[in-house]
Amino acid sequence: MGIFNGKLLLIVLALFSSSCAWAEEATGFAATLSSFSAGVDAFFNDYFGWFVNAVFFSVPMGDTKFPLIVGWLFIAALIFTLYFGFIQFRKFKLSIDIVRGKYTDPNSKEDGEVSHFQALTTALSGTVGLGNIAGVGVALAIGGPGATFWMIIVGLLGMASKFTECTLGVKYRTILPSGAVSGGPMYYLRDAMAEQGKPGLGKFLAIGFAIMCILGAIGGGNMFQANQAHAMLNYAFGIPLEYGIITGVVLAALVFSVIVGGMPSIASVTEKVVPWMAGLYIGMAVIVILSNLSMVGPAFSAIIDGAFTGAGVAGGFIGALIQGLKRATFSNEAGVGSAAIAHSAVKTKEPVTEGLVSLLEPFIDTVVICTMTALVITIAGLNVAPFDGAGLTGVTLTAASFEATAGFFKYLLAVAVIMFAFSTMISWSYYGLKAWTYLFGESGVAEMIFKLLFCLFVIVGATIKFGAVIDFSDAAIFAMSIFNIIGLYFLMPIVKAELKSFTDRIKSGEIKSYK
Amino acid sequence: MPEISTEQIDLSRHLIKNGPKFRSHTIVFKETKAYLKPTMSALLFCLIYVAVGLFLLGLAAFVYFGSRQVDLVIFLSIAGAAITTFGVMLLQPFMKYSAFDKITDEFSNNADRPLKLPNIMSLQITNKMVTSKHGISYPCYELNLLTKYGRRMNVLNHNDLVQMEFDAEMLSEFLEVGLLNFKKEIIL
Repeated sequence: MGIFNGKLLLIVLALFSSSCAWAEEATGFAATLSSFSAGVDAFFNDYFGWFVNAVFFSVPMGDTKFPLIVGWLFIAALIFTLYFGFIQFRKFKLSIDIVRGKYTDPNSKEDGEVSHFQALTTALSGTVGLGNIAGVGVALAIGGPGATFWMIIVGLLGMASKFTECTLGVKYRTILPSGAVSGGPMYYLRDAMAEQGKPGLGKFLAIGFAIMCILGAIGGGNMFQANQAHAMLNYAFGIPLEYGIITGVVLAALVFSVIVGGMPSIASVTEKVVPWMAGLYIGMAVIVILSNLSMVGPAFSAIIDGAFTGAGVAGGFIGALIQGLKRATFSNEAGVGSAAIAHSAVKTKEPVTEGLVSLLEPFIDTVVICTMTALVITIAGLNVAPFDGAGLTGVTLTAASFEATAGFFKYLLAVAVIMFAFSTMISWSYYGLKAWTYLFGESGVAEMIFKLLFCLFVIVGATIKFGAVIDFSDAAIFAMSIFNIIGLYFLMPIVKAELKSFTDRIKSGEIKSYK
Repeated sequence: MPEISTEQIDLSRHLIKNGPKFRSHTIVFKETKAYLKPTMSALLFCLIYVAVGLFLLGLAAFVYFGSRQVDLVIFLSIAGAAITTFGVMLLQPFMKYSAFDKITDEFSNNADRPLKLPNIMSLQITNKMVTSKHGISYPCYELNLLTKYGRRMNVLNHNDLVQMEFDAEMLSEFLEVGLLNFKKEIIL
């Protein structure tokens, strides 16, 4: 058994489970779980394989295949950037000024109001997560160092997508009969499209988005997180992969207490701890980079060279580009629509201010933090050609790269990964629930069904191995963007009008400057 | 202590920032006593943490005796201890005995100094929106009391308005003080 004494472990499991299966021998236990994992993988392959293939429908490009969905997101970000006149660069200072509170009357702060700075720090702590750690590991393992360059490009362009969707998210949010705020693509696709004289299309897009959001919540927002959390425990402590069910049950119990029990305490503790974890992660990356300062230049050279040559990458530079685009989107979620749900409950009278604050997120998340992770991986030199993902990948590649500088970093990373995974699962449970209640109504029974399903999939995600389920997780998140971006094309004039009104009022002095 | 004008006090302002998204307590009325009783579901949700924490501590012990893998034992022990402690901390408010006692003529919640019942001026129900990162939001309600010296104390804090209004009306009759509705529309 190596790490665990099998019989002792089984006694513990038997103590905490009513299932007689746990009383079988350790090999039987491992075999059962492996069989379960294979079964789940086969199920997703059989029943959702068509969905994954449809979302990632690819066309031949050079000696590789280019998924159209990746181009869809990239072109959308480019169009929003052009339509808003490179807003991410022109209004970057304005965004910083809003975060600094330049346009907020210090005497008018209402009770419980969250400042834009607080909103940004909390949102950032939400975006810094496994996308920055495991996602970059996957990107570089398959796309080589050059994938980093394309991640940065997507991060920069994605700022405009996030600005557009978050402004609309606040503008078209709804107060539900319970008094809770509900917002996001479901609402702006339905209501704003109706205002534009396209109620039928709006409803179709809203329903399509809601369905994909539920799948995305269960896939990327849940199973992927649980899976990578256990993968990290496997790397840091050598816990066998087949014991992922223990990690899953523990995580599911804690998630259950928050989303079913409505316990605010654990969620607020997580909120307080996660920013420290983000700080810890950035601190570790800075230490690695500073202690290998002479290798930073060559690392950047490898990133730039790899971006255009794609040396060692299947499909050459197109292969690097695809991986960079996919993982950057998975990390910063720009264009996906989830951020619009997250930002819709902010206290503000000016929707565009939230859009401007939110555009900083892809910059910090992808341009800064993902690049730091990529530098750590490239400096460590563990990721070598051919980049086919056969060696270290995902969270284990990132962890091994950190460990190359300081052995104990793997323990700190394990704690950070688990906290990030837990925090992300809580967030996505909320996104998924909003989409679920949009489709099935706000009844207690409907909500409970989703919450229990969500908890069940935490266990499934931690138990299964990489494979069809992870492909499904990816596909569901990307599919959200199909419906969201179609709507954004129709609705971007509304955002432009909001932006013009806001900037005009700043110029005229109607909106006062306090700093 | 001098009496102050209660008009100067904003009674619509809530006393506790957060609150649970479920009914945490009800008020039980006896002849001379009204006391807070935690709901079973609230207790069970707190016990989840204790159970998970103890499970991890147990696992740490088994790993230690089984393989003596120190790093894993330390990790499981710290995680188990933290989650167990957290669960016990969550349980504490439910274990505290809060009661309005007409024999001793006091309200005691085992947290603040006891309050003489004749000093209670009124009860108020207020509402708030518990918000969290990533847009999680839900309404929550407080039943608070005001003393003639301007002191405000929280009696109930949970998400079930119907139960809170029922308990508040009963308590208002029990204490023979007015019940004021300070719920307001919350505009985000």
